[in-house]
Formats: sequence, C-alpha cells, structure tokens
Amino acid sequence: MISIRQLTKTLGSQTVLRGVDLEIEKGQTCVILGRSGSGKSVLLKHLIGLFQPTSGEVWVEGEEITHLPERRLGGIRKKVGMLFQSGALFDSMNVGENLAFPLREAGLKNEREIRDRVAEALEMVDLAGEEKKMPEKLSGGMRKRVGLARTIVGRPECILYDEPTTGLDPIATDSINHLIRRLQKRLLVTSVVVTHDMKTAFTTADQVAFLHEGRIYFHGTVDALRAVPDPVITDFIEGRSGDVS
Amino acid sequence: MVTALGRIALSLIQYLGELAVLAYETCLAMVIAPIRWRLLARQIVEVGWRSQLVVIVTGMFTGAVLTAQTYFQFASLGMKSATGSVVAVALFRELGPTLTGLMVAGRVGAAIAAEIGTMKVTEQIDALRSHAVHPIDYLVVPRVLALVLSMPLLVAQSVGLGIISSYFTGVHLLGISGPFFLSNLYSYVGPRDIKMALCKAFCFGVVIAFVSCHQGLNAKEGAVGVGRAPTEAVVISSLVILIANFFLTFLLNMLFPYGS
Repeated sequence: MISIRQLTKTLGSQTVLRGVDLEIEKGQTCVILGRSGSGKSVLLKHLIGLFQPTSGEVWVEGEEITHLPERRLGGIRKKVGMLFQSGALFDSMNVGENLAFPLREAGLKNEREIRDRVAEALEMVDLAGEEKKMPEKLSGGMRKRVGLARTIVGRPECILYDEPTTGLDPIATDSINHLIRRLQKRLLVTSVVVTHDMKTAFTTADQVAFLHEGRIYFHGTVDALRAVPDPVITDFIEGRSGDVS
Repeated sequence: MVTALGRIALSLIQYLGELAVLAYETCLAMVIAPIRWRLLARQIVEVGWRSQLVVIVTGMFTGAVLTAQTYFQFASLGMKSATGSVVAVALFRELGPTLTGLMVAGRVGAAIAAEIGTMKVTEQIDALRSHAVHPIDYLVVPRVLALVLSMPLLVAQSVGLGIISSYFTGVHLLGISGPFFLSNLYSYVGPRDIKMALCKAFCFGVVIAFVSCHQGLNAKEGAVGVGRAPTEAVVISSLVILIANFFLTFLLNMLFPYGS
C-alpha cells in the first residue's frame, strides 16, 4: 500500500530524515515509534504530500506522489485520511459541519445522505448526537474523536494518525487506542500511527518501525521489538533516560 | 554595513517574490478552480459590512475637519465658497482612498492575517489540504475578491459621506452660501476624480488582500508568531498604501489628464 524509499528531508539547516526505507502492507497497522523531535510527524506528512522530500520517493497504491503538484494530489488524499495531533477541527464550523466538509468537497450534494454519514461516523467514535457542538466546547479527547470521525467519514483506504493520544489522560488514551483497533477491524483500513506512547504501540500495532537519528532503526512485530536486546530500544520501551537524581 | 544592506535587499526581493507567487497562484485559482460563492459572500460581509463604523466615522470627520481647516485659511483670502470644491477634490483624489485604505488595512488586514495565521499553526490549513482542498482556493481567493469588490464601494461611501459632512459643516456651521458651495463643487469635481478614487481603492484592496494573506500563510509557530502576523500585515499594508499612493498619483494623472 505505502512504500517509502530513501526518504531524506532537511528543514532549515537540520536533516530530520536521512534515507528512510519502509514498506507498509495493505490492511496492516504500522506504528512508527521514536523520541520527540525524531521526525515521526514529518515522515507521516510525506505520506499524504503535505511535505515534499529533499530526496527519495513515496509510493501510495502504486503511484509515486513525491513530485506531484498540490492540485494533482487530490486523488491520493481522497484515499488517505489523516488525524492531526491537535484534531485540526475547523473552528468556524460546528462538529456536524466539520464532518460534512469532506463529503461536500468530494461533491456529495444529497443533504440527507450527508446527514446520515455524519451521524454514522460520529456513532463510530462514540459521539452520536454531538453535531451541534462547536469545537471550543470539546475536551481534548473529544476533539481527537471528532477529528477521527472527520477522517473516516470520507471512507479512506488508509488512515494516518499523528500522535493520537498525546495530551490525553490514561482513560482517554486507552479509549482512543481501542477505537483505532476497532476502526481498523471494522473498516479494514491500512493504518499508520505515529506515537511515542508504548501503550498505544502495543495495543494497536501489527508492525512497529522505530525511527532513530533519521533512519528506521528497527522494523518488525511488537513481539520482536520486545525481544530486541538493543539498549537504544529497551531504554525507549522502558522509559529510561540514563539520568540519575 | 554593506552586508546588512545586502541582507535587507535580499529579504525585500524574497518577500516581493513570495507576494508575486501568491498573486500568480491566486489568479490561476480564479481561472481553474470554481469560485466559492458562499465564502465570498461571507468575506464581503466581513470586509464591507463590518467596516461600516470605521468608514463612516473616517469619511464624515475627515470631510468636516478638512472643511473647517480650508475655510479658516480661505476666509482670509475671500475664497470661502471654494472650500467645498477643494475639500471634494482632496477627498476624491487622496484622503478618501488613502484613509479608507489605512482603516481597512487596520481592521480587515489584521483580521485576515490573524485568522489564516491561527489556522496555519493549528494545522487547519494542513487539514484543508488533506481533504484535497487547496488553501489558495478556499482562503485566499474569496478574501482577495471580497477586498477588490468592497474597497471601491467603501471608498465611494467614505468620499460621499465626507462631502455631505463638508456641506453641513461649511453651510450650516461656518455660514458658506449653499448654492455657491454646490456650484463650485460641480465645477471643479469631474469624472477623472471619481476614476482616480476608484482606481486607487482597487489597488489598495489588492495590496491589503495579498499582504495580509501572505502574512497569515507564513505565520510562525506559537503565540508570538500568530501575534506578529496581524501586526506585520497592518504595518506593511499601511506602508505600501502610502508609498503606492505616491506613484499612483503620478500614473493616474497621466492616465486621466485634466479635462478627461
């Protein structure tokens, strides 16, 4: 479904990604782990063409998207949805209008069908009947759920999650983790989850890719990750900084 | 010193280049992408309707103050009845477009830069793009069109109110003869003055729209970045309006020579 080949990205004077290679199979959930500032979100945004790489290629569904101009990325962006770290809800619209937005932009005119699909997406994220609420009235967890509902309402084949549980309390985190898993089973989508939360990784992942110093340091299953004796990975999993107090 | 000047020159060239690219992409979007009429109508309300207070106050008090100042100077020369025509020509050619432009830059330009800047740092612009919506089509085109359509109307309104307030100040407060006031006004104000006012209004609308959208789209992360975008939009728009006004005055006097 997604193939990343020798992806390099330089932002200003800093090289964030240094030749990333990664294959993500259709229908799988791949979790990209790494420390804060390791370039996970930058990598994720390349998969939908929000960033242009310095060099390297990104292939989605057999199409090379790296050098497509903005106006020709529409086809890929209808297949690949993205949940942003902050939810990125349009704050001039209520929840219902936020969810109807991608449908209207895709050319859907039938208001009844739009209403039904909005209600269905909200029901999937356990927020049925919240159409009239404005984004500023929502908690952090609810904003992420609404953001997720807006992502799935267009029925994408692949969902990209950028730090879906960052800033949430443990209960909300667990709820979002199970929601990701449930949606993956129900919609049979390919998922790419960027996180530094090990619980999210262990709950949602089929495959784990560990990003370290701009490269994929490890790629394999969750069990294989747990079994690796490498201190770079074990310190990350166990949250050991090496500092002493 | 030379290095610093060179750096400033390069920054200016880069800035002008970015504005030119934004203008090109906006013009292209107007041709190849459908116009979003609902967003355009909403922006016309924002630009035109919500600017009414500042435009009314600016137009009326500029006309009134200019009338009083002109009257006090002209009275000693025995030219009281010429006050109306001088005020009207000044309003049409300079004060109406320039002051309205500055007021709209302050109110609308700041709002545009703040709104787009906030959308940028909260990833709403990335969210638009992820739904296959080009930010230029959705955010820039409606604002540019709204400003280009609204500014000439706002300037016409400001000048009209300025002349009305000038009449009341001159005739009812300062005792200028009403028929003389109007007669001189009709004699000295012609279509070229109206054309100059509308051309300047159009150009200032373009300046405010592109400068403000550019500042918003290039807002830096964080509260400081978002806070700086509207401030810079207002400062740059105001400076460009004042400088452009000088060159437009020469250009428009060539395009619309006396008697046209």
